[in-house]
Amino acid sequence: MTTITARASRGALGRRLRGERLAHYALLAPALLLSFAIVLVPAVATAITAFTDWNGISSSPAFVGIENFQEILADGLFWKALQHNVIWTVLFLTVPVVLGMGTAVLLLTRRRSRSVYQVIFLLPYVLAAVTNALVWLNIIYNPIAGVVGYLKDQGLAIESPLANLDTALYGVAAVDMWHYWGFLTVVYLAALRQTPAEQVEAATLDGVNAWQLFRYVYLPHIRSTVALMFVMIVIFSFLAFDYVYLLTQGGPAHSTEMLSTYAYTFAFATFQFGKAAAVGLVMGLFGLIASFVYTFVSRKGFDA
Amino acid sequence: MTFRISARWVALPLAALAVTAVSGCSSPGDDASGRAPLEMWFWGAPAAHQEALQQNLVEAFNASQDEYELSVTFDPDVDANIQTALAAGEGPDIVYGSGPAFVAPYAQEGKLVDMDEYAEEYGWKDRILAPMYESGTVDGSLYALPNSVNTLGIFYNQAVLDEHGWTVPTTIDELVEIMDEAQEAGLYSSVTGNSGWQPVNENYASLFMTAVAGPDKIEAALTGTGSWTDPAILDAVETSRDWYQKGYLGGDDYTSLNFTQSMQLLADGQSPFFIGPTLAFQFATDYFNDEAGNTDDLGFTSFPTIGEGLASPLYTLGTTASFSINAASESPDGAAEVIDFMMSQDFMETMTAEWPGYWGVPLSGVQLDPTEFDGLSADYVATLNEMFASVDAGSFGYFTATFFPPQTQQDWINIDSVWNDVEDPEAFLQQMQSDFDEELAAGAVPPIPAQG
Repeated sequence: MTTITARASRGALGRRLRGERLAHYALLAPALLLSFAIVLVPAVATAITAFTDWNGISSSPAFVGIENFQEILADGLFWKALQHNVIWTVLFLTVPVVLGMGTAVLLLTRRRSRSVYQVIFLLPYVLAAVTNALVWLNIIYNPIAGVVGYLKDQGLAIESPLANLDTALYGVAAVDMWHYWGFLTVVYLAALRQTPAEQVEAATLDGVNAWQLFRYVYLPHIRSTVALMFVMIVIFSFLAFDYVYLLTQGGPAHSTEMLSTYAYTFAFATFQFGKAAAVGLVMGLFGLIASFVYTFVSRKGFDA
Repeated sequence: MTFRISARWVALPLAALAVTAVSGCSSPGDDASGRAPLEMWFWGAPAAHQEALQQNLVEAFNASQDEYELSVTFDPDVDANIQTALAAGEGPDIVYGSGPAFVAPYAQEGKLVDMDEYAEEYGWKDRILAPMYESGTVDGSLYALPNSVNTLGIFYNQAVLDEHGWTVPTTIDELVEIMDEAQEAGLYSSVTGNSGWQPVNENYASLFMTAVAGPDKIEAALTGTGSWTDPAILDAVETSRDWYQKGYLGGDDYTSLNFTQSMQLLADGQSPFFIGPTLAFQFATDYFNDEAGNTDDLGFTSFPTIGEGLASPLYTLGTTASFSINAASESPDGAAEVIDFMMSQDFMETMTAEWPGYWGVPLSGVQLDPTEFDGLSADYVATLNEMFASVDAGSFGYFTATFFPPQTQQDWINIDSVWNDVEDPEAFLQQMQSDFDEELAAGAVPPIPAQG
């Protein structure tokens, strides 16, 4: 009798577990389906397209091997765009990171007002890119009616940075960094606040200065966040498109050409989707490398 | 007390949700009134112009028959969205295109309807200016009709000219002299710019090809009987570079100005000229109008030729957009009816009165009476009449967006690399020749109407 009861109990348990497992799969299904449909399928399609001469319309593209890659690698504009993406990455790994981290550290001591500051700093990030771009184009960089125009009227020999081949890239990056650094501030502040208060108090009682407090108490605790943001910045930098397209479309004279605008022109101006996909793969490669580095470092542990 | 969700009650709704999400919408079919829906996408024109199109096309067409119900969606990214939709076998019934050069790849892939039968039914071939009709053909069949001719010339502010004792230039020397004096007077020589739209560059590439190299050289290059490295075309590129560097194209602000701002500066008396396409008439209405009391100040004249032996005036022939029929349309007959509705003198007159610059429908033998139009529309109509006569006589230049294959067109858009000394003109044209040879071999060059 005991055996029968135990078996019945195990059977009920098994059914319940199977039911729960089914529920878990069902709950997971929408996310998996979405990921499959909008991430995996396009990614595989892009990878395949990169080896074809698809014009974006044809239903029977021809396989061209590595021809698309050979052609873009032989194109000086590709290397120019790549160089711009590297500069962009370096800029984003320094300027907004330093600004965001510095501001986050300062906000740590503003217990009552930091929420207000966070909202203010985050505003450009939550506004649409097209809104930010129009504000900068018409109110800041405009040489007739904007801030640049006003300074010109005051007798300063100044021009819109977007008009000069040497400064256009930095002019565009400045707008994108302006929109992005507040986000970093909020992320870093959230991470910094996870640092145990007793450790901060102990270090303070030991008489450390501000730099030592940051370097030896806060930084070890936020290292994983810093590393994650590092990877995200590298990925986003090689995908940068919206502000470049909205502000300069890669001009003047390709001075702000990025891999994304380079690919966009292939796809939507000259009907060379195969080449555009090849450029897309190269763009993704850099993000992939950054992701591998992140995964490798994560596995080893950030404290190691 | 614990609450346990039964797997069945979770799985079923989620499965239903997933099926609903991936199944999409059902076919639209006829609307409640029994009319078949017709859809057209159009660029994101200013509100007043959208209203004009809504009233004079959508409402007028829907009132003219009881079989179809037309609707128009205004979309700032219409070019890219149309391409994506067509590639997917979707999209609107009436396909708005950025020009005939856009049409060929889609026609060759069977994404657009061969409109030869409709052309015969509606008599389009006889009604449309021959070069414009031809520009919409692919392998001899009609796939697109242009909504309007577009040419390049000089908008001028008569008040500024009068103030400085200048007259409307009729020769290139007169034009250059005024522009130099304007610079000395602290004005822009002329205003224009490509802010927000890099392809503006091709306006000036086209302009200098016509005015310096001349249509014969360009026709030869486009048909493969000549070369893009021809000295006359090289001269055109170098002249455009010189003009850019001398500040004749928007001064230092070419990359910061767009057509709207340029027109505003012209109206404000900051420049005597705005060198640009006739489609810019549509932007002029905001700054030259009866309310401002300066409607009569705006004038338009042809751009004088520069090349030796070239006749003047010489108009660069182009189109603002084109209309085709989507092969996936369930109502191609209705779409053809809408296109025919637009290819009429009535529609041209109505739209030109309210939206000058964008609806110079290329109707053969039509000469509108400028005195029947008010304000800027009268100027635009006068320009159209001159241009139509010139095209009918077989004398016209070739606009890149209308007659050039995609990669060659893109190369011309990149002419600012020459203007900024990033690339030398010879290398620029050699690359052009190389790209063009590939496109010619691939059959990507649109039909090139011959000179008369």
